[in-house]
Amino acid sequence: MTNLQTPPLDVAARAEGARKTYGKGENTVHALDGVTVDFKVGEFAAIMGPSGSGKSTLMHCLAGLDSLTEGRVIIDGTDLTGLSDKSLTTLRRDEIGFIFQAYNLVPTLTAEENIRLPLLLANRKGDEAWINRVIDAVGLRDRLHHKPSELSGGQQQRVAVARALASQPKIIFADEPTGNLDSRSGSEVLRFMRKVVDELDQTIVMVTHDPVAAAIADRIVFLADGKIVDEMRSPTAEKVLDRMKQFGN
Amino acid sequence: MWKVALKGIVARKGRLFLTSLAVILGTSFLSGTQIFSDTLNRTFDTLFAEVFADVNAYVRSSNVIETDFGAEERTLLPASIAEDVAKVEGVQSAIPQVQAYARIIGKDGEAIGSEGNGPPTFGAVMTENDVFWELLDGRAPANDTEVALDESSADAANYVVGDTVRISAKAGTRDFKLVGIAKYGGVSSPGGATFALFDLQTATEFLGTPGFIDAVLVVGDGSLSDRELADKITASLSSYKEIETLTGDEITKETQDQIGAVLDFFSIFLRIFAFIALGVATFVIYNVFSITAAQRMRESALLRAIGASRKQVTRALLIESAAVGLIGSAFGIVAGIGLSRGLKAMLQAFGVDLPSRGLVITGSAIVTTLVVGMIVTLIAGVFPARSAGKVPPIAAMRDSVSEVVTSRKSRFVFTVLCFVIGGASVIAVFAGAAAGILGLGVVAIFMGVLAIGPVTARPLAMLIGAPIQRLRGVTGTMARENAARNPKRTARTAAPVLIGVALVTAVTVLAASLRTEIRNLIGEQFKGDYAISVQTQGFGGLSPTLVDEVAKLSSVEQATSIGFATVKIADKGRFASVINPVTAAGLIDLEMIKGAQADLDADGVLVSEGQSEKLAVDIGDTVEAMLTDGSELELTVRGIFDNGTFTTGGFVVNRELFADRPTSQFDFAIYIVKKDGVSDESARAELGALVEQSGVGKLASRSEYIDDQAGQVNQLLGLVYGLLALSVIIAVVGIVITLLLSVFERRRELGLLRAVGMSRSQVRSSIRWESVITSLIGAVSGVILGIALGWVIVRALDDEGLKSYTLPIGGTIGILILSFMIGVIAAIYPARRATRMNVLESLSAS
Ligand SMILES: Nc1ncnc2c1ncn2[C@@H]1O[C@H](COP(=O)(O)OP(=O)(O)OP(=O)(O)O)[C@@H](O)[C@H]1O
Ligand SMILES: [Mg+2]
Repeated sequence: MTNLQTPPLDVAARAEGARKTYGKGENTVHALDGVTVDFKVGEFAAIMGPSGSGKSTLMHCLAGLDSLTEGRVIIDGTDLTGLSDKSLTTLRRDEIGFIFQAYNLVPTLTAEENIRLPLLLANRKGDEAWINRVIDAVGLRDRLHHKPSELSGGQQQRVAVARALASQPKIIFADEPTGNLDSRSGSEVLRFMRKVVDELDQTIVMVTHDPVAAAIADRIVFLADGKIVDEMRSPTAEKVLDRMKQFGN
Repeated sequence: MWKVALKGIVARKGRLFLTSLAVILGTSFLSGTQIFSDTLNRTFDTLFAEVFADVNAYVRSSNVIETDFGAEERTLLPASIAEDVAKVEGVQSAIPQVQAYARIIGKDGEAIGSEGNGPPTFGAVMTENDVFWELLDGRAPANDTEVALDESSADAANYVVGDTVRISAKAGTRDFKLVGIAKYGGVSSPGGATFALFDLQTATEFLGTPGFIDAVLVVGDGSLSDRELADKITASLSSYKEIETLTGDEITKETQDQIGAVLDFFSIFLRIFAFIALGVATFVIYNVFSITAAQRMRESALLRAIGASRKQVTRALLIESAAVGLIGSAFGIVAGIGLSRGLKAMLQAFGVDLPSRGLVITGSAIVTTLVVGMIVTLIAGVFPARSAGKVPPIAAMRDSVSEVVTSRKSRFVFTVLCFVIGGASVIAVFAGAAAGILGLGVVAIFMGVLAIGPVTARPLAMLIGAPIQRLRGVTGTMARENAARNPKRTARTAAPVLIGVALVTAVTVLAASLRTEIRNLIGEQFKGDYAISVQTQGFGGLSPTLVDEVAKLSSVEQATSIGFATVKIADKGRFASVINPVTAAGLIDLEMIKGAQADLDADGVLVSEGQSEKLAVDIGDTVEAMLTDGSELELTVRGIFDNGTFTTGGFVVNRELFADRPTSQFDFAIYIVKKDGVSDESARAELGALVEQSGVGKLASRSEYIDDQAGQVNQLLGLVYGLLALSVIIAVVGIVITLLLSVFERRRELGLLRAVGMSRSQVRSSIRWESVITSLIGAVSGVILGIALGWVIVRALDDEGLKSYTLPIGGTIGILILSFMIGVIAAIYPARRATRMNVLESLSAS
């Protein structure tokens, strides 16, 4: 893969002039309307914005789940544009972790199998010490052999986080990971994510509607109508809430 | 509710198509067999109506011996009778008929037409201005060196007028000059039979008995009605004994009915397989309805929540089933037309060549298919519809589609009950009850196995999936878990495979046992070095003169023949085996229990143990007998032999019984011992030359002969396999449909897997192995059931002389490998669909 402008080494993910349009003619929707953004290694970034502003779309395109109409995405020095399905799959499996809002787990597999899923799919052993650390960190040691249906919603999300971490990906994308959780389990999951970034230099990009959740990040990127409209460093819940109110107007 | 039901149908075209597919496959075989037999019936009816169109009366002997399957052998008439008939007022011409076995030998030395299970090979009379035969080329045969052939035989062997044609018949094998090629009532060959045509004199001498004919065809001068003519002829023939005259219509009708009886037997045989296929399809339909009903549980619950009654929900689903049944059966009729052609091609491949003219689709075929299709679909739809009605409104809020296995206990009770009934009927049959009870028992056992399926499916899936999991890692784990996650569904999907595999296995076991039996029997009873044989054992065969020629050969020490003849014994027509006890000594061993084989004199009979018990006769007793020439006599029992020899009829008579009688009788095997000191090569060379000259028969060493005889079972086995194939195809389609519906149901899960890095080939692999596990669940249970079933049938046939139960290891492994392949094949399309799904769309699916 030759990249004309290789991003600096400390950039884990980059979108350049990212454009995504749905539909044709009058029904055209510009989900992303020229987004350029960098996520640095070891950064915990949050993406915020009103419903329909293109947050999920951006995240899907960054994670190689969807392709851009225009522009390009570079993950750890690799340009995703024009990659085959096979290479994209391998990239997702080995370099990217993903946490969805819900339905993160394969119901037929145990918690442990779900955590190891990317490794199992890659037929890799993985770093056993690391996996053990992750399992302990999410506090699931005594639930490893349970099926997802036997776990609470919070526990399920923690399994999903553990899965995203287990294969030591370059970057983790999380789309409203706490959206379906009560505030206690939510903050549990968030604190854990923060810990991973602080202690292990993990890169996380998270979409959220919750100012409290967003406040845990190092940086917040605000999207509106498919464009980046603002950025905030070292956020607090109050500052975020204030900024959000402006969108309302 | 009609509206809801109709909307449901329109909204789910894909699923409707899948469900209909099962109905289409199930009903197509039914309509296919019916169209096939209707067409065949009509073809023969028209043929005979055309053929006898010019015949006003038909004179024949009223003395007839009827044997099984509507076969009959009628006493011959003296040839002179034709002249007497011709003198009767109102008769324009009286044409003597002779029709008997004859085989036309092709240019390559091979006889034309199939031996044993094809249409018959005939020799007959042809005259100038023949009623039946219409010349296409040349002229009618006029002397004992000339022959004419039917068009399709001439075509098949590339014979043209002027060629020399070798023909084998009762009197031996001779060369004739081909002088004419003819058509039979508008077709090139009636029913695919081959015909060698001679002048009257030659026909009686070469084909039958000199001085005798079969019947007289009468063409009237038009002055009398057919009835009057027939009566007049009968009256004028009062000097002859046992003569009857039929009108043209009567003989047409009788011939049509006779062929119809054979065809009916044949259609019943086919229809058995059609109903098996339909039963298998019912399971598939039931399965599809159950899955879709479960997937629609939320919708049904929503309907209930907004005030629909249980009944209304159930009714909406039943209306849908009825619509599916109707549409599916309608397409099934269309598919049946194609299938009826396929059937014909398949039978042709197994040597059963049938004519067909046009396609006959009767109203009854259409109505039967529609009605049966509807009923079957409704039956399959009732339970899913009822359980849909039972869905509580609250289920609208849940999203699980898993069906729980309920009432394990009642399932166990039902299964045990079925097994008890099954076991009891098996024991009853072993103890001598009617074989029909066995059918009941088999059905009961099948039902028991199927009822317990949902309980055993999960453990079986885990067991069969274990090695796959070890081999395939996480995709294997998922395949195994997916096969086990919905045991009811898995059991229903595996059920058609189970039924198909069980039947195939049972048939394989039966065939293997038969082969062993034949090997043992021939091994014990046939002691020679070589055999010359034909496959036919009912009509024609080796000329009875051939054995004498063989005996004269310089390399032959001893030769004896075994043949058959129709004889009425104790008021029943039988195929009696005919031997020559003098030459048979040391060559044929009938395994006598009482008396000696050598004691069989000209008017003696040897009886099997079974027949001696049935007729309550012992050595020295006499039985009444009638030969086909009408002569009645008493045969003295000279010995009793062991059951289950290759003399299937249970009676053996002396060849001398038929000496100088106008009866037809052929050999089906000649057994030979070569002289000491003669090499195998020179004996074979000499015998081979004679066989080649004769044109019929196959020379084989002792071991080759045993192999050949045992191998004959394979042909029937092949046909049965072919007919069971459709059931197996339906089972495969059942797996395909289930997998498609499961893939659709699990699309979110698949999307997730793809998102976290499962490759397309891994998705394919996991679906493939799930399919293999499902198929093997059915196959393993089916093989076990089939082996048991085969054993029961073999045991039940013990009395008929089947004593060698053989477990075909290779065949069984083959069936399991095939089931494995079925799993792999069934997964191809669903796996493709699964990998084609858009990851994001799947993820957002509800
Ligand atoms: N498959 C699609 N087809 C057409 N339009 C789409 C599709 N997916 C998204 N959109 C549109 O693109 C825009 C951005 O959608 P996106 O899901 O990225 O929003 P979001 O910011 O994640 O919103 P939310 O906070 O509600 O999750 C929306 O206007 C949406 O309607
Ligand atoms: Mg979103």
